[in-house]
Amino acid sequence: MPNLNIDARKANTYDAIVIGSGVSGGWAAKELTEKGLRVLVLERGRQFNHVADYEYAMKAPWETKYNGKITLEQAATHPKLARDYPYNETTETYWMKDADSLYEETKRFDWYRPAIVGGKSIMWGRQCYRLSDLDFEANAKEGIAIDWPIRYRDIEPWYSYVEKFVGISGEALGLPQLPDSEFLPPMDMFFVEKEVRKRIEKAFPGRHLTIGRVANLSAAKEAQLGVGRGPCQFRNRCAMGCPFGAYFSTQSATLPAAAATGRLTLRPDSVVREIVFDPATQRATGVHVRDAVTMEDHEFFAPILFVCASALASTALLMNSKSERFPNGLGNDSGELGHNLMDHHFRAGASGMWEGDLDRYFYGRRANGIYMPRYRNVGDDKRDYLRGFGYQGGGSRQGWERNVAELSFGADLKNELVQPGPWTMGLMGFGETLPNHANHMSLHPEKRDKWGLPIVVFDAAFGENERKMRVDMMEDAREMLESAGLKNVKTTDGESFPGTAIHEMGTARMGHDPKSSVLNGHNQIHGVKNVFVTDGACMTSASCVNPSLTYMALTARAADFAVSEMKKGNL
Amino acid sequence: MIPRREALERLSLLLGGALSTQVTAALMGQVINGGASVAVTPEQTALLAELADVIIPATDTPGAKEAGAEAFIIRVLRDCYPMEEQESFYAGIAGIDEAGRKAHGKAFVELTPDQKNALVREAAEKNRSFFRRLREMVVTAYFISEVGATQALEYLPVPGRFEGDVPLKPGQKAWAISR
Repeated sequence: MPNLNIDARKANTYDAIVIGSGVSGGWAAKELTEKGLRVLVLERGRQFNHVADYEYAMKAPWETKYNGKITLEQAATHPKLARDYPYNETTETYWMKDADSLYEETKRFDWYRPAIVGGKSIMWGRQCYRLSDLDFEANAKEGIAIDWPIRYRDIEPWYSYVEKFVGISGEALGLPQLPDSEFLPPMDMFFVEKEVRKRIEKAFPGRHLTIGRVANLSAAKEAQLGVGRGPCQFRNRCAMGCPFGAYFSTQSATLPAAAATGRLTLRPDSVVREIVFDPATQRATGVHVRDAVTMEDHEFFAPILFVCASALASTALLMNSKSERFPNGLGNDSGELGHNLMDHHFRAGASGMWEGDLDRYFYGRRANGIYMPRYRNVGDDKRDYLRGFGYQGGGSRQGWERNVAELSFGADLKNELVQPGPWTMGLMGFGETLPNHANHMSLHPEKRDKWGLPIVVFDAAFGENERKMRVDMMEDAREMLESAGLKNVKTTDGESFPGTAIHEMGTARMGHDPKSSVLNGHNQIHGVKNVFVTDGACMTSASCVNPSLTYMALTARAADFAVSEMKKGNL
Repeated sequence: MIPRREALERLSLLLGGALSTQVTAALMGQVINGGASVAVTPEQTALLAELADVIIPATDTPGAKEAGAEAFIIRVLRDCYPMEEQESFYAGIAGIDEAGRKAHGKAFVELTPDQKNALVREAAEKNRSFFRRLREMVVTAYFISEVGATQALEYLPVPGRFEGDVPLKPGQKAWAISR
């Protein structure tokens, strides 16, 4: 009689398990399968097929019900998701419902969790920037938190490696604080942006205004055409999913590459409840999974685990993986797991109106804005706060949505609105947040979600350093726009809470010392060598640039390391 | 079948009691939008269509009425606006109709274009917040409609390229999708 347990275990055993299928998980799946491993990807979200499931992507405005608005019922039943725009008519089914994504907040915290295969790689903003040694050295130089265990030279080849596959459109500037990527041709700038750029760069030496660096194919090369992707059509409907595969997502890029090896198994609706630790080997042996739909429990096994569930979900999973050896969560010898929660603070800046040049217009919808690399606390510049910010934003001519004379109606109103409005230009800061032990997440002692998992409690807030920086984010923008000739320039400090920028990170940080960090310089848990955490949880500091590209590079680097360690018999 | 109340309690227990009443209700498919929406009569629909056509009239291209703007407005009001805002909106349009009846002894829809324009101008001056809401609704409904987007504006579903600085051709219409 066959031993059913042994057979079942064998059937559920892979060479590697990847938890999560977003930007990081997709890269882990691609790299590990291409290196010959049989990989199981576990995704808690539902199946979400490339092109076929992009419900609103090709719809005309008149084919929407509410022109993007959410309904009162959706707002009432999703009090957290409905706080911000990512939850709207066209993408509302892409996010985990409030009822499924339970969490508590001591202070306001926005947690946007995807409900689909591909995770936030479908809805992301696609801005891609390299960190530099200005970032990697900052903690050590300033005595903040702990030092990064890596420097720019460690990650540089991996940035190049992932960029060639991702396809990033941008302009090379040769700046040390914002190293250039492997670029596809830059997208064009609007007339007003070109003018403002000239004037700012002349009036403020050391400041640069460039086109955004974005994971949209301004031209498709072999690496992208090979997985079925095509060039950007300039529709600017990216967040709904791109039927042309023109921006980088798991579905458009890493998933087809991994699937092409024949070694990928993707299991959607798979809520990973726990990573199982074996005290005999001091290694993880696999995971406990609850099927999100059937509620049945399963166990899967592998000698290598990549935790890529997104910063906060990965951290919650580690926290929930308790054993005698790790009573406070897997790999949490340092007590830092869940702490040092960071996000970027943003939505502070200025905008103004450009007079004249109404004989110039534009063609197409650019799915990208401008970027102004960090210049504060760079070189000889010294402020009364640490770190700095970059600007995103841009300029365009207004459309029919603009404000017009208060009482205007009839043919006058119509004739005015069918013509392009004035040129405008805005700059919005994205600021670095300092790592702070006090900013943390924990698991609720009693409350459980639908799948029986403890819900997360957030206790995080921006501090004095961020508040001081926001003054510069507004005032610098005002000063530059006014000097560039814009009129009626107004500053704005929009609401920005931890989580709002959806750049959450830092809760299982990398470091040299197991006593003060969770991961080593290869994203490997200090005390559990076969578990790698390569999403935003690993970040030791936040930089001010959009982080996804760094997760991709660190994931590819960690996958290479893991396989070489496996071959040496070290895992 | 388990009684509804008990089903809710069980679900609540399963979820560790972490759910608000609203969320639990939503989970059970219960509509929680504070009661019914305004029931819109055919007369109100006709009045709204007529008002929309005064705000965005037919010129060399069709107006809001031909674009069917009122259907979008009614739908968005019904599903996306709280009851009190719906009521104040419909009270606002009824007020214009009432003013027309007082001045001319006829329903708004039966008045001459000049009479309609005068009544809308009067309403705009007397009740700016209502007028702004009405105008915003009509402008959106019209320019996202197929008629508005493809005839009054230039609709370009798949541009295929981007150029940030091109000459504006004489008489060129604004893009229907501006961003």
